[in-house]
Amino acid sequence: MISALWHAFLAGTFWHPLSFVLLAAGVLGPALGVVFSRNIVRAALWLLPCLISVAGLFVLLGAEMLAGIQVLIYCGGIVVLILFGVMLTHGVGDPDIRVYNRQLWWGLLGVVVFAVVVSFALTAQLWPPLPGQLPPNVTGRLADALLGQYVLAFEVASVILLVAMVGALVIARGEPKE
Amino acid sequence: MNWLTTVPLQAYLTLSAALFAIGLLGVLIRRNAIAVLLGIELMLNAANINFAAFWRYGATSSMEGQVFVVIVMTLAAAEAAVALAIILNVFRRFKTVNVDQINLMKG
Amino acid sequence: MPPGSEYFLIPGLPLLAFLLIAAFGLKPESERAAPAAIIPALCGSLWLSLRALSQVSATGPVEVAVPWLYVGAIQLDVGVLLDNLSALMLVVVSLVSLLVQIYSIGYMKGEIGYGRYFAYMSLFSGSMLGLVISDNIVQTYICWELVGICSYLLIGFWYRRPSAAAAAKKAFVVTRFGDLGFLSAVLLLSFFGLGIFGFTDLQHAAETGALSKGLITAVSLLLFCGAVGKSAQFPLHIWLPDAMEGPTPVSALIHAATMVAAGVYLVARTYFLFALAPAALLVVAIIGSLTLFLGATMGVAENDIKRVMAYSTISQLGYMMMALGVGGYTAGVFHLTTHAFFKALLFLTAGSVIHALRTNDMWKMGGLGKRMPITAVTCLVGALALAGIPVFSGFWSKDEILSAAWFSHLPGHQVFFALALMTVFLTAFYMFRLWFLTFTGEPRSDEAQHAHESPWVMAGPLVILAVLAAVAGGLKASVPGAGQGFGELVRFGEAHEAVSYLAMILSIGAALLGIALAWAAYRRNFVSPAAFNASFPQVYRLLKNAWYLNRAWELFATQVVIAGSALFAWFDRTIVNGMVDGVAWLCGAGSRQLRRLQTGQVQLYAFVIVLGIIAGLVAILGGAAHGVTFTAGGR
Repeated sequence: MISALWHAFLAGTFWHPLSFVLLAAGVLGPALGVVFSRNIVRAALWLLPCLISVAGLFVLLGAEMLAGIQVLIYCGGIVVLILFGVMLTHGVGDPDIRVYNRQLWWGLLGVVVFAVVVSFALTAQLWPPLPGQLPPNVTGRLADALLGQYVLAFEVASVILLVAMVGALVIARGEPKE
Repeated sequence: MNWLTTVPLQAYLTLSAALFAIGLLGVLIRRNAIAVLLGIELMLNAANINFAAFWRYGATSSMEGQVFVVIVMTLAAAEAAVALAIILNVFRRFKTVNVDQINLMKG
Repeated sequence: MPPGSEYFLIPGLPLLAFLLIAAFGLKPESERAAPAAIIPALCGSLWLSLRALSQVSATGPVEVAVPWLYVGAIQLDVGVLLDNLSALMLVVVSLVSLLVQIYSIGYMKGEIGYGRYFAYMSLFSGSMLGLVISDNIVQTYICWELVGICSYLLIGFWYRRPSAAAAAKKAFVVTRFGDLGFLSAVLLLSFFGLGIFGFTDLQHAAETGALSKGLITAVSLLLFCGAVGKSAQFPLHIWLPDAMEGPTPVSALIHAATMVAAGVYLVARTYFLFALAPAALLVVAIIGSLTLFLGATMGVAENDIKRVMAYSTISQLGYMMMALGVGGYTAGVFHLTTHAFFKALLFLTAGSVIHALRTNDMWKMGGLGKRMPITAVTCLVGALALAGIPVFSGFWSKDEILSAAWFSHLPGHQVFFALALMTVFLTAFYMFRLWFLTFTGEPRSDEAQHAHESPWVMAGPLVILAVLAAVAGGLKASVPGAGQGFGELVRFGEAHEAVSYLAMILSIGAALLGIALAWAAYRRNFVSPAAFNASFPQVYRLLKNAWYLNRAWELFATQVVIAGSALFAWFDRTIVNGMVDGVAWLCGAGSRQLRRLQTGQVQLYAFVIVLGIIAGLVAILGGAAHGVTFTAGGR
């Protein structure tokens, strides 16, 4: 085992699995922090390392453009938005400060079963285990696809963003004050 | 295959399943509505990891996997905005963001 | 139309008369025309019946059926079956009905409900003729029930009188017991008897062994139950004496000559079943002989002139049943015929007396022989016929019954013979007790003193019936229109002429003895009835109270039936209601549990969705493991 590790170290081929393990830990650890943090601000902040690790995984998978978009939108946009939301809905002296609802244990059980079943489903199939060759210009090809074959989806997504913006404005505006 | 030289697809799939499960746990368990939203974000990211992994390990010739991820991120942003607007409205109306105290539809 | 279809008119004409009277003849202005509908109808029926008799006795039975109702595999027809037995009965029924209706014109004159009376009587005549002429057992049952209804309506004709209403109800309820047996027989036949209902088909099936022995015995016994009710056999005889509450022509027609004979006719009609079930025949004989004896004993202690005759009818019906039971098919039907004539006659003479005196109590009568000669003479003829004095019709038929009992192969037939012989004595006694008390001696009341004879519209039928009662014995030698003797005409199997001269002599002796005793006790007072009653008070009380049978039935109804019904009531309340309530409770409980899912909390709903996804995944994975795929579209 040690010798295999040493050989891999010398060959330089273990960086890839090592990175994966580190990034996986970086995803799952903070995710647990998000779910089990007592303080809601801390929970929102734990989201940051999680999402950055996901971006790292995208890089590992050869999709750098996705990693960039991930950092920009998720970390930069959505987390900030959530923190704004936390500030605006800060409860004032709520006597009942339970973190978890009545479904704690049943939820835990159900989710564990779910995870087992899903992973069984995913791993029971025979997927190609090894990655193939990356094509040359991944980002360029992504741009071609987005503005070429899938331009409709692209445009519809932007319309949805517009609609969501207007909708959020309307909903959040509340009652007009006389 | 040799774990020490390359990462198998099943590893990514298991990882995304675990992340999805953790996110689902957050949705089901937490009382604070924003915590529920955080759980939803985790689930979306798990799906994105899944798409990207399948793209890399199978169909790198076509870009569908990545296109899907882009669209999902866009929609996640839109959805987060709308969800927070709703949470603000609920906070104004019920003076609380605890989801289990909002049960007007009971019965 | 198939040949023989005109015979549908035999019951049809009186039914048509019923409809006409019911539609137009019930108002006081139009009531008096009611007889004008029924008398011609009955004349028509009589003429057609005579024609039928001469036709079938020469050329064989006529059967016409019209399909009526199809229920699943069961097919019911409306049909007529004319053979020697039914044709003869049709003549008897239509003749006696006609004479009684003519009599009724005078008897019911001035009564309220005159039109209603004739309407009911028409319906009865039509139903009775329909019963006789029927070619299948279901139609017989329908007509059976119809005559039962008419009996109820006519017994309770004066419904404002509480005793009449009670008597009508009693008649209907008691015969219902018997009818239950009849219905059960029909049901047995439809389930286990291959669904055959027609008499000729049934006979063929029974004789070729298509029906099991057990089934035949059961059906025979159940049919006999119906006969026990309708023909007032022991123990269901209790309704007949009370039925005398109805108008006397009703008693004459329905409760003497025709309806009560329906039971005997039913047994004769289905005799092919009884012949194959000796156990059933034995039961018939036992019940018949019990009835003939008990009926006569109850008649000797009665003081109401109509009730004496009611018990006499019960007794004579017992004779007919016993005759059928011991194998004397011809004897039973012959007695049915002669009894129809002389019993109707006797009732009509009693009606004549009642109409004149306005009372039924024989102790208020007396000396009417001088004042109502026609009535007295015709009643004497009837009494002699009933007692079984030679030359008169009753002698010939009763003698045939006694001979049949003497020569029968049934075990214990000597007992039946002995009972029948003793009852001949009793019959003669009570009948002449009646005659002497009513028509001889001094009048015992003012009404009797000033009585006068009935009008010709009433006396005419009396005379005709008296002639018939006297000469009907001649039917044994030759039936007019048929060219054969009665024994040839109406028989089951081969005709047999076994006559016991010993029985003949014994019966004449017993009858004369009875008449002599009655004469001694009630005409000349050599023997005092009062002294007899004083020395044997228990016997007197027993007979006066009709062997306490009414009380016995009363106890049965209140103790047994009501106690039994308490059990069924409990079952209905607790179990049946419980089941229904239980279903409702189940719904409520189920929905109360389901309601717990509706908490209004989104996270619970999300959890349930997760459970659903797990279930779906397990199903797909499990299916994939067993080679079951869930693909949309495609193969």
